[in-house]
Amino acid sequence: MQPPYVVAHDLTKAFDSKSVLSGVSFEVRPGDVIGVLGKNGAGKTTLLELVLGFTPPSSGRVEILGHESYRLPGAVKTRVGFVPQQDELVNQLTAGDQLKLIRSFYRTWDDALVARLVATWDIDLRQRVKNMSVGQRQKLSIVIALGHRPDLLILDEPVASLDPLARRHFLEQIVEIAADGNRSVVLSSHIVSDIERLANKIWILKDGRLHWAGDVDDLKDSVVRVHLHGARLPLRDVRIPNALSVDYGDTYATAIVHDWSAALEAEIAGLTGAQLEVEGLTLEDIFLAMHR
Amino acid sequence: MHYYTNAHWHIEADVFVLRPHSGVPLHRQLYEQIRRLVAGGQLAPGTALPSIRELALTHTINPMTVSKVYARLEAEGVLERNRGKLMTVAAQRSAQATHSARLAALEQPLENLVLAARQLELDADAVVEALKEKWEMSDAATVRGRARPNKSV
Repeated sequence: MQPPYVVAHDLTKAFDSKSVLSGVSFEVRPGDVIGVLGKNGAGKTTLLELVLGFTPPSSGRVEILGHESYRLPGAVKTRVGFVPQQDELVNQLTAGDQLKLIRSFYRTWDDALVARLVATWDIDLRQRVKNMSVGQRQKLSIVIALGHRPDLLILDEPVASLDPLARRHFLEQIVEIAADGNRSVVLSSHIVSDIERLANKIWILKDGRLHWAGDVDDLKDSVVRVHLHGARLPLRDVRIPNALSVDYGDTYATAIVHDWSAALEAEIAGLTGAQLEVEGLTLEDIFLAMHR
Repeated sequence: MHYYTNAHWHIEADVFVLRPHSGVPLHRQLYEQIRRLVAGGQLAPGTALPSIRELALTHTINPMTVSKVYARLEAEGVLERNRGKLMTVAAQRSAQATHSARLAALEQPLENLVLAARQLELDADAVVEALKEKWEMSDAATVRGRARPNKSV
């Protein structure tokens, strides 16, 4: 088995004694597409910046390919691609010159791929970056991050300004990378349904901690909505185990529970005497339930 | 007719209806659809399935989801892997699975239907009546898999 691209152990980050992340550990393995979810201020950008080595952790350790991120050798840096939330394009350059500049840093630059993306996305190479729309700038940033065919691609809210068609093209690029089998993507996005499509693993950040990390399909099997009907006793009097939330009606209740299993089903049925109907949840439902 | 021989027919990736934004994990949606199409005979033995890449790109889903499902169906003898070529529906299966096997594939939807009907306090006769009505309204052709000649052969 290939070694993981990224290993983070017990990462903590504080700015001016204000804790942003604490006790975060994870791995990124070849072939992973990892979706990072969290509400604003949950620490997503800080987490990605720690992985990239833009800022050192307050404690703990994060490594890319066995090298401490904060002191990454140039040879390892060229295997990483990054699309930041705020682009870092040079306003005075034309799109074409911007691409040429970045191209000069990488031996692995894929001219054919870049030409294809530029054509698909109607990027006008003669246009100055400062005159480009936010969406066009975002596309150019993505082309730059993909152009050298990185083994590890990290994207912080890359699709916020893309129209639906451009977003679909972008998602297809992610599928292409994943189809290579040994490259990895870490993607933060508020568009939960994109993550639901593409990610095989997700990290849910909450209050600076890694609240849930694992397989998307496992999460969907674990967190479910249970409808309870025909209970023996008033359901309000019963504490439903593992409940993230419960809504009560006159004769029924609906609960969202975690760590769902046959044993839990039997326990809830036994406690309430109710008939149970179980319903799967979308990733968005689960995310919202975790924040209620 | 070479319909039943090797990979002269393939099924298009868009035959599958995959809803990522759903409570049912994607791998289970794909797994159950392939099983049903094979059990129903729409996917005949020898029919090639889309490549992992093609299926993933058509639906913009993670290729690992597809490869996981193909591997599971291969282990169960439903699909077979051909060296360097596409996965095909396993030959040892009869073209139409037995009646009981096809009925078994309906178990989950039936359970859901019965549960919903009981919660609505409907009796079995009323449900059967409604089912028959639906049945007559639906066009059998719409549920058939669209097997097409393989362009590359």
